Amino acid sequence: MNAAAIMDPHPTILRPTDMISTAARFIMEKRYRSLPVVDEHGCYLGMFGVNCLLKQVLPKAALMEKGLTNLSFIHDSLADLHERFHELEDKPVSMCTNKEVETIAPDTPLIETLMLLYTQRASIPVVEPGSCKLLGMISYWDVGKGILAS
Amino acid sequence: MHEGMLFGFDPVWYAGLLFVATYILVMTERLNRAVISITAACLMIIGGVLTQQAAFEGVDFNTLGLLTGMMMIVGLAKNSGIFQFLAIWSVKRVKADPWGILVMLVVVTAVLSALLDNVTTVLLIAPVTLLITDTLKINAYPYLFAEIFASNIGGTATLIGDPPNIMIGSAVGLGFNDFFFNLAPVVVVILAITLLILYLFWGRSLETDPALQEKVMEYRERDAITDARLLKQSLVVLTLVMMGFVFGHDLGLQPATVAMFGASLLLIVHNLKRSAAEESVSVHKTFCEVEWTTLFFFIGLFIVVYGVESTGLLERIAHHIMEITGGDRSVTAISILWVSAVASALVDNIPFVATMIPLIESMATTFGNNGELLPLWWSLALGSCLGGNGSLVGASANLIVAGFAERSGQPIHFTKFMLGAFPLMLLSILISSIYIQLRYF
Repeated sequence: MNAAAIMDPHPTILRPTDMISTAARFIMEKRYRSLPVVDEHGCYLGMFGVNCLLKQVLPKAALMEKGLTNLSFIHDSLADLHERFHELEDKPVSMCTNKEVETIAPDTPLIETLMLLYTQRASIPVVEPGSCKLLGMISYWDVGKGILAS
Repeated sequence: MHEGMLFGFDPVWYAGLLFVATYILVMTERLNRAVISITAACLMIIGGVLTQQAAFEGVDFNTLGLLTGMMMIVGLAKNSGIFQFLAIWSVKRVKADPWGILVMLVVVTAVLSALLDNVTTVLLIAPVTLLITDTLKINAYPYLFAEIFASNIGGTATLIGDPPNIMIGSAVGLGFNDFFFNLAPVVVVILAITLLILYLFWGRSLETDPALQEKVMEYRERDAITDARLLKQSLVVLTLVMMGFVFGHDLGLQPATVAMFGASLLLIVHNLKRSAAEESVSVHKTFCEVEWTTLFFFIGLFIVVYGVESTGLLERIAHHIMEITGGDRSVTAISILWVSAVASALVDNIPFVATMIPLIESMATTFGNNGELLPLWWSLALGSCLGGNGSLVGASANLIVAGFAERSGQPIHFTKFMLGAFPLMLLSILISSIYIQLRYF
């Protein structure tokens, strides 16, 4: 068995031009952790997710390599965080797309797919080899469903 | 020492060429500098310039021990949050006023750099600076620029502030007090004039919204302390170590012994109530804080310079310098000051100082060695430490700050930095020249 057999071939996607506010509301309502960003030609561009939103409201000084490791002296309120998030609301999803997420080919063996799911701790995009076309997504739930069904 | 030269090479040529090649390779930064210096050290032995035993005699273990001990103490102490506490506390003392913040961060950076190494200081202060400038929505560049200067200027004031001083102190047998009483006065003047110039450049344009200042004032510096027990232990040990530096010299205690004893003492008290397994992990973590590549760079370099020295090449160069300066001590001191400053702005000051030490020692035949060489040593210390401010590659601390600036999306460009920094560095050397001339001649 390989990745293609357990992937969801019709995943929910975002366009790079979608506004962050729309995307954020959508992932909150549906409780997604992350969603693939795909252009009008079906080319996979990266992932947009909760972590990306968190990154935008956290101080840059804490996110950078060798940056601050302790922020307990800052006592921001929810209103402060909302204010910071408000500055991003009208920006496109493309500015908050994670391109580092590892992708796999549809013929990747099942056990290799599970290993990546375990190490990446997020859904995996399945991309056509030699092109950037998104073929589907594999989440914990897709794998769970597959195992239980067998 | 040179009887068994490989293929009958001339030891002066072999050692000289190896030394120049090492310098060039370190400057190009294509290979790790520790790898370059260790390889060159081995070639110095393989080529027959030095025996292995002689090579080890060239290694200054006092410098290595002092660096290692201080790296361990700071590596452990920083986990207490003390440095963030200091930065936030000082910023709140000036009501988060943008210019006041710059002054306070400069003073904190300079003082910490005098007591710790510069790289550690900027690693701890720069992220807090970026957080504050981000909150106040002001340009971080003036602050980071000022901190680079403060770290190099502050580090000049003491024996332990900057590696060149550690090397000079160890080679000549100068103590903490010697450095402090001879260099700190001019350092204070340079820092004050630097601040004045920074005020003329940026002081009046640093403005922010009072509401944002209020946000910074809401920071609770006490919450930055993550381990109060470690904080107390670190402060006690750091105080003891400073006392050891101040009083130990007269008792025959070398700085390396003081620093290493401080490090081991802190490790003992910090792990007192832990199990053997936990203690082992904690000690291992602390040893990981030591910059081994820097230490091995030093080891290789000491051997290479010792090899060149053993051939008599440096003595010949020293005589040549004497001819140029007419054997005048004052002209020689000022020349050393300016040459070291310009050289340290462009190349790593550690190999430069390692080369200059035996060179100046050779001048004892002309000037004598009963304190007559002291102005030359202070010139070397001032030039090599302050020269680091001349460009972004002048000191490791500069590159660390530039790295932070880049990661925060506000890069410090090499040329832009140099256009402002080089003239300001030259001004500090001019002040140093006047100081050397007035105080020692």
